[in-house]
Amino acid sequence: MKVTFPHLGTMHIFCKAIAETSGIPYIVPPETSRRTLTLGVQHSNECICLPFKIILGNFIEALQMGADTIVMVGSGPPCRLGLYDLVQKVILEDMGLHYRWLTIPPRLTWQAIWKNYEETKELKKELTWKNILLFPHGLRMGWRKMMACEALEKLAMKVRPREVQKGETERRLKRALSWVDGARTLRTLEDELQKGMSLLRETEQDLSRIPLKVAIVGELYTVMDPHINRGVEQRLGELGAEVTRTSWFSTHILRSLRKNKADQSSERIRFFEASKAYLGYDVGAECNLSIGEAIVRSQEGFDGVVHLMPFACMPETTASGILTRTGRDWDIPILTLILDEQEIEGRIQTLLEAFVEMLQWKKRAA
Amino acid sequence: MEEKGRIGIPRALMFYRYFPLWKVFFEELGWRVIVSDGVGKRGNLIYFEDSCLPMKLLVTHAMHLKGKVDYLFVPRLVSLHRHYIMCPKFRGAPDIVRLATDGTIPILDETIDLRTREYSMLRSFVKMSSRLGANHPEGKRAFQMAEQLFLNFQKGWEERINQLPLNQIYQMDIPVSAQEKKSHLKVAFIGHPYNLYDIDVNKDLLSFAKSLGMRIITPEGLSEKEIRAQVSDLSKEIYWASGREIAGSLFHFLSGGVDGAVFLTSFKCGIDALLQEFIKRRLTIRGGASVPFLILTLDEHSGREGLMTRLEAFKDVMEERKRNVKTQSSNE
Repeated sequence: MKVTFPHLGTMHIFCKAIAETSGIPYIVPPETSRRTLTLGVQHSNECICLPFKIILGNFIEALQMGADTIVMVGSGPPCRLGLYDLVQKVILEDMGLHYRWLTIPPRLTWQAIWKNYEETKELKKELTWKNILLFPHGLRMGWRKMMACEALEKLAMKVRPREVQKGETERRLKRALSWVDGARTLRTLEDELQKGMSLLRETEQDLSRIPLKVAIVGELYTVMDPHINRGVEQRLGELGAEVTRTSWFSTHILRSLRKNKADQSSERIRFFEASKAYLGYDVGAECNLSIGEAIVRSQEGFDGVVHLMPFACMPETTASGILTRTGRDWDIPILTLILDEQEIEGRIQTLLEAFVEMLQWKKRAA
Repeated sequence: MEEKGRIGIPRALMFYRYFPLWKVFFEELGWRVIVSDGVGKRGNLIYFEDSCLPMKLLVTHAMHLKGKVDYLFVPRLVSLHRHYIMCPKFRGAPDIVRLATDGTIPILDETIDLRTREYSMLRSFVKMSSRLGANHPEGKRAFQMAEQLFLNFQKGWEERINQLPLNQIYQMDIPVSAQEKKSHLKVAFIGHPYNLYDIDVNKDLLSFAKSLGMRIITPEGLSEKEIRAQVSDLSKEIYWASGREIAGSLFHFLSGGVDGAVFLTSFKCGIDALLQEFIKRRLTIRGGASVPFLILTLDEHSGREGLMTRLEAFKDVMEERKRNVKTQSSNE
């Protein structure tokens, strides 16, 4: 048995940690590249959303490298995300690739537990007692690594607009993340995290700069994965904007576990309430939150909002239509970027440069 | 009964399935129903959002009704089935229309969600009737009347499609005879109702098909049981009612019973894009379809000529296959 998982954002780091700590053999798919995307595009059609293509590409590459068990986070209606596994399974089968599939249920219902039982029946035979006993520890390790990665990324967002040498923060962040990735025990993880944090803090900064404040909203995979959004977060930072986002893996995991007491969830409730001025019903996925967050951010004095969505994403299409009005009503510039497989890095850079410049004019005029 | 006012219904989306029900309901309550005209050949679309063509048509039609009606009827269709839901875009549709019309017309946007009893069809319609000034028994009676007529109307659906031109199929006073016209090709046309019956989306493809001598079979004719037989063994249930109906009826017809199947889909339809890939792959795994299969993707740029050429070619394929099957069976 060789387990594999999608290469999304920092997901591979903590998935790897879970497998590694519990002693389960695994294969990390190669970093998302042009080839990954081409594979994904080749085996789907033009109106399927970009995350589908990238995840499919990851799986194909991992299976070709010798993985045989795919672990994928499930999801529910109404968005297409909930049927990714149904379609991807058929596509992989049609390609003649052999695999076993394990869905992690998004909500713990009886149906989900039963399906999980069915799926794991075969796998359990290959697991040793040691694997099963170590699994809770693995989960804890994974969780801690996820939080460590998020702490590093959040710090990098703050440092990036003030860096003196462009790209320095990104280089340091990559190094810090690889240290976290390499940690084997909880104690070394803590040390590596501290080391990484101070590495980021030591970046040469020009503290006299007052960066613009920009919030990134939109479809969660597009917001979280730099390969899907072509590094919008990094680009904005290097253009001198301090970026904020509320989509993190921890937010979504806590949300699906129904732990609403955490601060982040109450923030989501606030966004949802704000969106009621425009939407009378929960459209699904992040649609309402994108609109609500834009409103709340404008009240909080942010300079602008960047809305990210994959081409043909169903809930976000509704959101993008409404956001054009929201921006006008609340006097906050909103840039919607629709992403698909085309090579649009140059275009995105130009759009972001123009957007940031516009924000600066607006700020100076005010 | 004197006329209380005018209610506008945009000729878009689920209009193409539920219009008779809606019409009878509002007329029973004493309101006049005004339906927007088609966009036509030269019609200009109004682009409020970058969505699929049927959604753009909803906004366009609603804008055409602006100033002509007292209320606009755009229900919030969350679910029209006990277990399955509608496309997420339907949930935001009334809000989109409200923003596009700048809130100038009051919108009847009652939520219909058949998964919960609170938003059942009857309750939502009664709520709506009270907004229109009718009391509870009046609303209930109007709805029951409308439902009865609607069920009768649905029974004659297939004959209606085959005998009447598309722009007349919703005129309930035109009767249809029960006799079947002789046609040598039976072709299943599958898709969302607003792709199949909206002339602005499909450029009146069904009339052309009829003129080629095809008999049109629609997914409405299939029972829930026949659909369930096709999709119940999937590893995960397709949770969109329309998507499930499309996948189920395509698998049903592609395994025989008709001479060919045509799948009409609009560009940027999320559900269709995903299911299209799924259906094609599943067919190849199972050794292909037993009848010819054509997928037509429609948007505002598709021309009638292009669609006609493809349908003609498809007809040749179906006839060729029919001849081959005949000679094979006579040789044996």
